[in-house]
Amino acid sequence: MAYVETIRAARLREERSRTCPVTGLRVYAGAQALTLANAVSAVLALALGGAFGVSMALTRAPSLELLGSKGYYVALTGHGVSALILWPVFFEVAAMVFASSVLLNARVWSMKLGWTALGLMVAGSVMLEAIVLAGRASVAFTAYPPLVASQVFYLGYIVFAVGVLVAIANFALTIAAARTERTYEGSLPLLTYGVAVAAILALLAILSGLVALIPAWLYSQGWISNVEPIVYRGWFWGLGHTLQYVNVVAMVVAWYGIVALTLRAGPVNQKFTRFGFVLYLILTVPVLGHHFLVDPSIGTDVKVVGGTLFGFGLGVPSLMHGLAVMGGTEARLRERGAVGLFGWLRRIDFRNASIAALTCSLLLFAIGGWSGTAETTLQLNILTHNTMWVPAHVHAIVVGGTTLAFMGFAYLLVPLLTRRRLWGGPLAAIQAWLYGAGLLLLVATQTWAGMLGIPRRVSRVDVGADPHSWRLPMDLMGAAGAVAGIGGALFVVIMVMTLLRGKRTDDPTALAVSAERPIADLG
Amino acid sequence: MASVESPVAPPAPGWARRLPADERIFLWVVVATVVVMSAFTIGWLYLGHQNPPTASYRTTPAAFTAKTQAFASRYAHGDGRVYVPAGHDAYLMAYRFGFFPTLVVKAGRPVRIWMSSLDTLHGFSLVGHGLNLNLEIAPDHAYGAVFTPTRPGRYLIVCNEFCGLGHQLMQTSLYVVR
Repeated sequence: MAYVETIRAARLREERSRTCPVTGLRVYAGAQALTLANAVSAVLALALGGAFGVSMALTRAPSLELLGSKGYYVALTGHGVSALILWPVFFEVAAMVFASSVLLNARVWSMKLGWTALGLMVAGSVMLEAIVLAGRASVAFTAYPPLVASQVFYLGYIVFAVGVLVAIANFALTIAAARTERTYEGSLPLLTYGVAVAAILALLAILSGLVALIPAWLYSQGWISNVEPIVYRGWFWGLGHTLQYVNVVAMVVAWYGIVALTLRAGPVNQKFTRFGFVLYLILTVPVLGHHFLVDPSIGTDVKVVGGTLFGFGLGVPSLMHGLAVMGGTEARLRERGAVGLFGWLRRIDFRNASIAALTCSLLLFAIGGWSGTAETTLQLNILTHNTMWVPAHVHAIVVGGTTLAFMGFAYLLVPLLTRRRLWGGPLAAIQAWLYGAGLLLLVATQTWAGMLGIPRRVSRVDVGADPHSWRLPMDLMGAAGAVAGIGGALFVVIMVMTLLRGKRTDDPTALAVSAERPIADLG
Repeated sequence: MASVESPVAPPAPGWARRLPADERIFLWVVVATVVVMSAFTIGWLYLGHQNPPTASYRTTPAAFTAKTQAFASRYAHGDGRVYVPAGHDAYLMAYRFGFFPTLVVKAGRPVRIWMSSLDTLHGFSLVGHGLNLNLEIAPDHAYGAVFTPTRPGRYLIVCNEFCGLGHQLMQTSLYVVR
């Protein structure tokens, strides 16, 4: 077959490689560099997104009101772009490179394509951040027409999206090449399988996003006369919400990665977990219907089926993976001698940074899943639509669930790839618990504010009706945002310092610290 | 319990065999939960009294403005507010950055408020006295929501869909009188 020949021909180059002392996998120099470059871009995007986020929380606190309304809408747009799109997608592309090459003992199919993808993504990000900070794109990251931003904003999105498409193509070709070269036997490992599901969802998300953003760009230049806001909204959330399930799938992959590297645990049943990943693939796309639950555009039957029922259905794979990660951990520790109903929990060292992040991630994702399920019902959506309930849900899922899981996984991935000890010792675990606690408080206060009907995405509200009951939750929300902000900043510091100052070592126990407490320690 | 498999290595041959009973039971319990929740949310559409409004029609900014202005000038009082007569539909238009007109409705009487936008997407968030009710207002669509106000007083209508740099100024009052 011709395409097999092409793949082989491209891979005749020589490339340095080493054997990982922890996992025994073959790590090629190119794959390692590309994974790290994507992860570093992700951390930089998170740093920006976090700074925007904290300034928003401090603005919404009525006792402080840090920014004026103009500054607030700059931060609103920048926060959505950086923290909801750039940070997770950069990290997912890092995961794609890692899962298709290192986990399969293979080289990246084309390093040129890999660097091209990263270059496009970085260029798009710089365009987006620059135009947002210049104050010429204060349209929120959703940019619903007829609101228009500078064309640099739309082009930034499009360039970034094309970069991700190139990365997805390289991911698929790397797996195909590994298969033809037989660098691994049998089916894909679970983590690679999960990342592949995330990549397919990302592909669907980006295609939908391009259908929304290209007309919006043409409209911003006056080249077409009209973009119907409701139609744009549908295509945009085909990007926006599908992308959140890319995050969820990647988060689940990070969960399995964390328990594998810290506790040598994994799924009890491969088929059960893989079926869970496939369910995400089947159920995700129609769920964008829940953005239309209380608007005049589409019929109630479409809203019920697409928004609500598919939304409930998506609870199934999340419950499956939550169970499989914890159940697999329990089974592993019982094999290792844990007894009693909760004896296995006492064998876990919660001072391990990745385990701390995983624990907070599981808890916050469960809270966010609950609040999302509540607001996807037609009747409750009247109470929550565009109130602070929505950021409460989003922060529980994307920051609590995905970001914390990515942080926990980064605490393992970065030391393994750089062969440097994690900088700061116990600081990483403190970071994870602090960030988790700040987010729990943030989600609680935002949920409270949402139940009072306080609107989101507005710099301030001159309250005529209920002045006093609206102050306290929003002031507490500001404080929670500050705590979470300190936790997030610590993560960035730890990552940067590990890359620059982390002690070089090849000792496997220092690179992936076991979270299993020896029986003698339990007393 | 079965032994644990590695998520980073290819699975052992035969991984695709039928699931063990405990995992099948778990799956069916979750699926049954979804079915029950679905039955509730669909059932409430027929049995419940608080559902999202379903009345809507296509319109244009010009046509909706004409209708709202005719309605407002007919029922406006000297205080600038528009008193909605019992049994009559009310009209509310949203634009960057305000609502028109300021409505006064009677407690205990159901009233249908038709709303539409003249430009971007806007939000209709009705808050005050413990009430919290949120809908989306879109251009080119009129959306008719039926309310029965119970408690007299002044309520706040806030735009809660980001609509531009004056978004935070966009609010009005709704009065409920005996």
